[in-house]
Amino acid sequence: MNGISFLMDHLPLLIPLIILQFTLMITALIHVIKHPDYRFGTKGMWIFIVVILQLIGPVFYFVFGKGDNE
Amino acid sequence: MNIIEVKNVSKSFGSKQVLDGLHLGVPKGSIFGFVGGNGAGKTTTMKLILGLEETTKGDIFVGGEKVTFGNTKTNRITGYLPDVPEFYPYMSAEEYLTFCGEFTGLKKAERKQRIKETLTLVGLEGNKKRIKGFSRGMKQRLGIAQAMLNNPELLICDEPTSALDPEGRNEFLELLASLKGKMTILFSTHILGDVERICDYVGILDEGKLKVSSSIEALKQTYAKSQIELSFDEAADFSILIAELNALIEQEIITEVEKINEQNQVIISYNKDYTDVAGVLLESLIAKKIMPVSLRKMNPSLESIFLEVIR
Amino acid sequence: MKNIYYFSKKEFLESWRTSRLLILMIIFLILGIMNPLIAILTPDIIQMSFGDSLPVNIPEPTSLDSWGQFYQNMTQMGLIVITLLFSGTMSGEVSKGTLINLVTKGLKRSTVVISKSIYLILQWSFCMLLAFFVTWAYTLYYFTDDNSPHVFLAVFPLWIFGILLITTILLTSTVSKNSYEGLLLTGGFVVLLFVMNIFDKFERYNPITLTSENINFLQGASNIGNYMPAMLISFFLSLLFIYLSIVILNKKKL
Ligand SMILES: Nc1ncnc2c1ncn2[C@@H]1O[C@H](COP(=O)(O)OP(=O)(O)O)[C@@H](O)[C@H]1O
Ligand SMILES: [Mg+2]
Repeated sequence: MNGISFLMDHLPLLIPLIILQFTLMITALIHVIKHPDYRFGTKGMWIFIVVILQLIGPVFYFVFGKGDNE
Repeated sequence: MNIIEVKNVSKSFGSKQVLDGLHLGVPKGSIFGFVGGNGAGKTTTMKLILGLEETTKGDIFVGGEKVTFGNTKTNRITGYLPDVPEFYPYMSAEEYLTFCGEFTGLKKAERKQRIKETLTLVGLEGNKKRIKGFSRGMKQRLGIAQAMLNNPELLICDEPTSALDPEGRNEFLELLASLKGKMTILFSTHILGDVERICDYVGILDEGKLKVSSSIEALKQTYAKSQIELSFDEAADFSILIAELNALIEQEIITEVEKINEQNQVIISYNKDYTDVAGVLLESLIAKKIMPVSLRKMNPSLESIFLEVIR
Repeated sequence: MKNIYYFSKKEFLESWRTSRLLILMIIFLILGIMNPLIAILTPDIIQMSFGDSLPVNIPEPTSLDSWGQFYQNMTQMGLIVITLLFSGTMSGEVSKGTLINLVTKGLKRSTVVISKSIYLILQWSFCMLLAFFVTWAYTLYYFTDDNSPHVFLAVFPLWIFGILLITTILLTSTVSKNSYEGLLLTGGFVVLLFVMNIFDKFERYNPITLTSENINFLQGASNIGNYMPAMLISFFLSLLFIYLSIVILNKKKL
């Protein structure tokens, strides 16, 4: 399979996808760092989850990890 | 006319009875101090008046309309400051008040004006911080602001001064006093000084009943024990003094003697005319050559009345 | 009436300031892009995992594969994320006591329920359309076949089902103490729908059909009229759930 030509063909899909995933990750990451009052878990754990688990990680953080006072 | 009528209301939580046939009338236009010890049921009573709790027995009327548990129409005319007010932490104080002003129907221009006034009144003007960063005292101030924002006919405040520093407490009491005539205020407290300063009426809640409900003046007249305070210097012989005073009790001139050791004082209770009692008292002291350094006719304090009532 | 607008505005602000709206928008956009992408990549992935040993030719992906992904992702990811993020919408307010200041000023409790449902439905519609138009645009660009004529007709039932799910979230969150309980109850309701789907007799009436037959609607292979009963039932269930939420909140200790 020709990787380069595949990438070039699908840039209109890949570029926005990467940007969006990155935005999501950064949004969650900033929140994790700025609000260290989690319902459970540690800062390190949530940073790991948010960065490694694309899509699901940030959602999990906002649903289960984020402290109530926000 | 009474804006609040609590008629024979009982309230139990499980097997624990908090209110037991409570009657309470709050005259329209008054500032009503609602006094009682911790756990007496003040918060519960207020929640019942606002339909936030369900009565076990009895009816409550606000502005002549019956209060129903849950959604109640009577809340149209009320404003409430809970003991621990809760807000939306993501809003600023001004945004929160704007929201409150919107749904209570204040027109835009009036709303802006009121919010500005109210924020200044409680000392939160120009504060752009989100509420999540507020201290307990700031939340209390915002709580006061939201409760009085739309000039409710009936303002109910639950221990409003307890989270404030002495200065804030003073300001708040003055604020409440300045609202007199504009709205009826029911506020609970365990600080009797607050009541004495600004209230026209006082109700004392104890053991699920209102032990006292009257104007402050009338209360002082009914409940005041007549007392005289005598102070001596160290040299005084207290055993002779006490024997002498006990003799006066025998003769039914005075009713009770209480000795306060550290201060070389005695407090004498009596139920006859002051001039007669003081005359006899001084004569017998002169006869025994025990001279007080001071003699004072004690004015009844709300504190002593309160202690008397709940005894 | 005006108060419904004011309270919905508060819901919007809440969703925005707590980052939930942003998260939803990003996720639905990502889903919108992923649908055509996965459809395009699937043959390559199969090819790679089987090597050249695969005896049959893998058919070229079509627009139907892209839309197939859309309906799968919308239900398995989109609706689940919405449920996760909003399952505490009422129980949170009740347990924190944030409604006390408001109702003691005369705000009707029914206003709270109606505003929340209106806001959540608007938010669902917006997010669904976001993913829908992104998928549609890419599908038109990458797949030039005309296998998928009825795009709007196919997505309409999904929208109706989303509304049912939202009113379910509202009701379960009104009866629950916290968001976990609400989540559990909502999950239970969906499982119940799936279980009922085992019986063919109920198929036309079961709201879950609205999320499983969309590809047939899309091709025109299935007449949407057949599923009118399921849509009407969803609609009336939604109204019932809103009504029940009001009744329950009206007598709830705040
Ligand atoms: N929700 C409740 N469940 C059980 N007991 C309660 C509840 N609310 C109040 N109580 C009890 O009722 C009594 C009166 O409480 P409260 O009205 O808060 O008193 P106050 O405000 O005068 O301090 C207390 O003994 C308290 O423990
Ligand atoms: Mg209390």
